[in-house]
Amino acid sequence: MKNKVKLLILLSIFVGCGTEPDINETMLDGEEIFDPSLYEPEKYLVSVALPNPTPQEALKPVIIASHGYTATTFEWDEFRDFAEIGDNVLISQILLGGHGRSYEDFKNSGWKDWQTAIKKEYEDLVSAGYKNIHFLGSSTSGALFLELLSGSYFKNQPAPLQVLLVDPIVIPSNKTLSLIHVFGPMLGYLESDQSAEEDKVYYHFRPEETLRELQNLLNIVRKDLEKGIVLPQGTSLKVYKSKKDPTADPVSAVLIYKGVKTNSGGNIDVEMIDSDLHVYTRLDLRTFTTEDKENQTATFNDILDRVTGNN
Amino acid sequence: MFYRVILFFLLFQFFSITNSKAQNSELDIGVRLQKSVNLYYENGFTAQYTNNRLYSKRLYFGISYVTSRLGSAIGSNAINQDNIFLSTTYFFRPDRKLQPFLRLNTGYFYSDLEEEIFDDLPNSSILLSPEAGIRLKTNSPLKVGASFGYNIITGDGRKGPGTLYPVFIQSSITWSILNNTDQNEK
Repeated sequence: MKNKVKLLILLSIFVGCGTEPDINETMLDGEEIFDPSLYEPEKYLVSVALPNPTPQEALKPVIIASHGYTATTFEWDEFRDFAEIGDNVLISQILLGGHGRSYEDFKNSGWKDWQTAIKKEYEDLVSAGYKNIHFLGSSTSGALFLELLSGSYFKNQPAPLQVLLVDPIVIPSNKTLSLIHVFGPMLGYLESDQSAEEDKVYYHFRPEETLRELQNLLNIVRKDLEKGIVLPQGTSLKVYKSKKDPTADPVSAVLIYKGVKTNSGGNIDVEMIDSDLHVYTRLDLRTFTTEDKENQTATFNDILDRVTGNN
Repeated sequence: MFYRVILFFLLFQFFSITNSKAQNSELDIGVRLQKSVNLYYENGFTAQYTNNRLYSKRLYFGISYVTSRLGSAIGSNAINQDNIFLSTTYFFRPDRKLQPFLRLNTGYFYSDLEEEIFDDLPNSSILLSPEAGIRLKTNSPLKVGASFGYNIITGDGRKGPGTLYPVFIQSSITWSILNNTDQNEK
């Protein structure tokens, strides 16, 4: 009897390991739908659209808008549409490495690959002569920005002037992510509960390899915050955080507030938002309330005020 | 109601300890070193008591306090958080040196979020956690134990403290400061 029980346990482990998800071609995970920035980079990246700015164009605020884990450039489309009305900022919507392509591309990517896209666009803009560059990141991009700020990346090159984080993640809301290194290989992947339309702009399946990479990144950033991150001279940072967030625990804002200081030793800005949405600035393909819309508009206006120097 | 239960438990333990007719009682006091998987070190103190009438010293009652103030928060920006809990532990093989055990803890968790802007965030919770582990008894009053534990109540981004994580490992090093026999036996 004991041997039969052991065999059953081993069998269930092997059955669980190595299962492949059921991907169809209506999903971003498949081989037919890709992020549009891959086809038309000139519509998404300022470094491609305006590689040789005039001295006046080089002073215009450029916002590098970067999305979250499993997301695509879609996550900042509404902000781009909002910002273009005023026509006083330029927006580079980047696509993180491994994202917006296929399940296999995602599965084979690590957090450093995700971050490479941020660094590439930033370096291309600096090389082109842009002087007024800002970072705007949602969710995991917040962690990727913090990791850049904690190291020596900005020691020998100009730093962004504003770093704006919407629902950044340092502590996940779903605490089972902390066990991914133990149970991940047995699970293979997790599935998202999202609509068919969202399946076209967010990966449906989350390979356990990428969840382990995410947990690794969060551990690194958490420890960097515990040691303390000092912003480069001239850089300001603000966190906009939903008070109830099913993905990025709101306590992430506490860790960032305690862990990051301005170059002169001051505190960063934090605004806690009455929202229960993760990345509350993205309302498209979601059911939302009047208050959600007001939150989005207020944050978009605040972001634009900050990067244009009106705040 | 919860606090009345805790008070009753404390008084029961106090009278058990001070009862002069308690036979072969043991009181182990020492340190508890605890680590949440992928989060903080929280260290502190523990006291565990038993006597012969508690299933021939298989059953222990205890109290522990562990905190990040004595762990990850030392010299860092980690959140200061405290755990205080009562335990009931059952040891198997009481006459052997290596003793597997099962434990149930219940208590209170509190994290200090410091700033007014975070007043709306949940920062405290009831603690409820089973543990399973092993203890080594030596020929001296020194005892060393280690276990895995699971916090049944944790935060989820909407309710519950964000830094109360599910799985932890702990080790305890205790010294028996009370190990006496019945006066009648003398």
